[in-house]
Amino acid sequence: MSRRPAVHPFSQRGALALRAVVLLYVAMLVLLPLAAVLREGVSEGIMGIWRVVSAPAARDAIWLSLWTAAVVTIINACFGTATAWVLQRYPLPGKRLLSTLVDVPFAIPTLVTGVMLVLLFGPTRPVGRWFELHGVTVLFAPPAIILALAFITVPFVVRAVEPVLAELDPTEEEAAATLGATPLRTFWRVIIPALTPAIASGSLQGFARALAEFGSIVVVSGNIPHRTLTGAVYVFSEVESGRPHAAAAASLVLLAAAVLATLGARAISRRTLVSDA
Amino acid sequence: MDPHEPSGFESYDMSTTPTWREFAVTSILPMAAIAIVIGCGASGASDKDATATQTLTLGAYTTPREAYGRDILPAFAAQWRAKHGKAIAFEESYLGSGAQARAIAGGFEADLVALSLEPDVELLAGKGLITGDWKQRAVGGMITNSVVVIGVRSGNPKKIVGWSDLARPGIKVLTPSPKTSGGAMWNAAAIFGAAFLGHVPNLPAGDSAVAEQFLREVVGNVAIMDKGGRESMLTFEQGVGDAIITYENEVLAAREAGQAIDYIIPDATLLIESPAAVVDAYADRHGTRALADAFLDYLTSPEAQRAFAKHGFRPVVPAIAAEYADKFPSVKQPFTIRDLGGWPNVVQQLFAPGAVFERASTPAVR
Repeated sequence: MSRRPAVHPFSQRGALALRAVVLLYVAMLVLLPLAAVLREGVSEGIMGIWRVVSAPAARDAIWLSLWTAAVVTIINACFGTATAWVLQRYPLPGKRLLSTLVDVPFAIPTLVTGVMLVLLFGPTRPVGRWFELHGVTVLFAPPAIILALAFITVPFVVRAVEPVLAELDPTEEEAAATLGATPLRTFWRVIIPALTPAIASGSLQGFARALAEFGSIVVVSGNIPHRTLTGAVYVFSEVESGRPHAAAAASLVLLAAAVLATLGARAISRRTLVSDA
Repeated sequence: MDPHEPSGFESYDMSTTPTWREFAVTSILPMAAIAIVIGCGASGASDKDATATQTLTLGAYTTPREAYGRDILPAFAAQWRAKHGKAIAFEESYLGSGAQARAIAGGFEADLVALSLEPDVELLAGKGLITGDWKQRAVGGMITNSVVVIGVRSGNPKKIVGWSDLARPGIKVLTPSPKTSGGAMWNAAAIFGAAFLGHVPNLPAGDSAVAEQFLREVVGNVAIMDKGGRESMLTFEQGVGDAIITYENEVLAAREAGQAIDYIIPDATLLIESPAAVVDAYADRHGTRALADAFLDYLTSPEAQRAFAKHGFRPVVPAIAAEYADKFPSVKQPFTIRDLGGWPNVVQQLFAPGAVFERASTPAVR
């Protein structure tokens, strides 16, 4: 059953105008800045981009961004799905509060996130001291980057999976149970396949967001080239030292990774749809 | 499974091919509109009329914000009103020195700049925004001095007394990144310069390879490169690190604010000279030249120099500097950026892509 209205609220001409306005809006807002970065990035040719990103400092920075974002994506896929599951399926005291908390990372300026982590894990604070005593370096090391990214991208998977879980047809689970499937088997064979597109979409959105993260990372990571300097902070440092081409070239590579992730999410959801049919 | 609801994704299939008219309206029109917008470009900025209250726009770097905001600007405004009977208003912008210079070069119309280091002013001169010989003004173009110092924990538990201690294994050092902080160039130049000029024990003078190796050892101990001097100090105040390479005025400001931080002035260290200049092109356009000139002159007046001293900067005017001999201990072997060949040379040799600093921050074994 379609939830779209049977009658379009706009006339044919009105609908056409609306589409034109929307396209113009998106083009001005998204396409133009993208084009500007693209123009600057390719101003010295494809080899120009390669020269920038194959330099050790840029290469290490982009690699650090990629692997930390990948780790966070996996964490999110697991814990985000679990969180959505708990929110949907179990009675839980303070559920409303938990649900609100999930959205909080979106509402907090990420710079503030960074400051919060420094305040929490600083060597003079109880939590920071506990970790230090146990030989774990959190701040100004990759764990801090992963922590900040995980915090910021919490909502993506939860909010993508929740509505799908809510609309899952319980008769399917009942049918599986009637046919003798254990709850675990039902979960893996019935529920997870239905959730896969949402999980993939949510986690890869989170991946793209994590690649781009700057505000919190510049505070918590330490920004040492080759060790804790991420791609986005590298881009910033190139802007700040007056090298717009290097900044744009590195941006394009991060951008390409994010676009690939988005396409990947699309492909996974499409394949799942096809195999379901 | 309900075929209509396979998942959370709704399939918005575009089964119908758009007609030519649809294509024209939805694709060509927006593109044409964009082309028009781009083609028009920026229209000319309108001139500001001289009004009753004159406005002076100050584009400064972040460090002296308190000195300007609390003391210098109010005092100058009062003096101007007393002398000319006219009120003035300030528009103040504080950014990292390099970012500020680029903002102004990019069209932020500041009448006057106060920046951390000469190359940032030279950037504006290179763009034709500063036309006169700005170094003829103030004291060789400079309005404040400071020195590069090493901040340490209260009581100096790690016994850090000079540059070579920063190269000791296990010492955790903080300094901002010279890529994002013009001010951090002073720090790296101080370390490199101390070694190059023969002020680091057991290192021969005049050998840039030796100085680079020394810089590499110190940079190898740097645990955090914040984006600016102030951020770096805030991290240090959080208890992170054993030593911070910073400017004397930053440490004095932190101590003033109650932080338990000690500092040592290395026997040989770099004199930080920070410039100010009228941005001729903008001041003329705004009709604020007389005001901007007067303000620049005021910055080296005894009153303003004392205000800078109060906020931790060494006065550039010798007579006023003498008044603060207690607050600012003399440096045994001070050197300046000119001893290292001047800024253009230092930027080229130390901070260009692939130059000394970048090499020194690349681990030796890769």
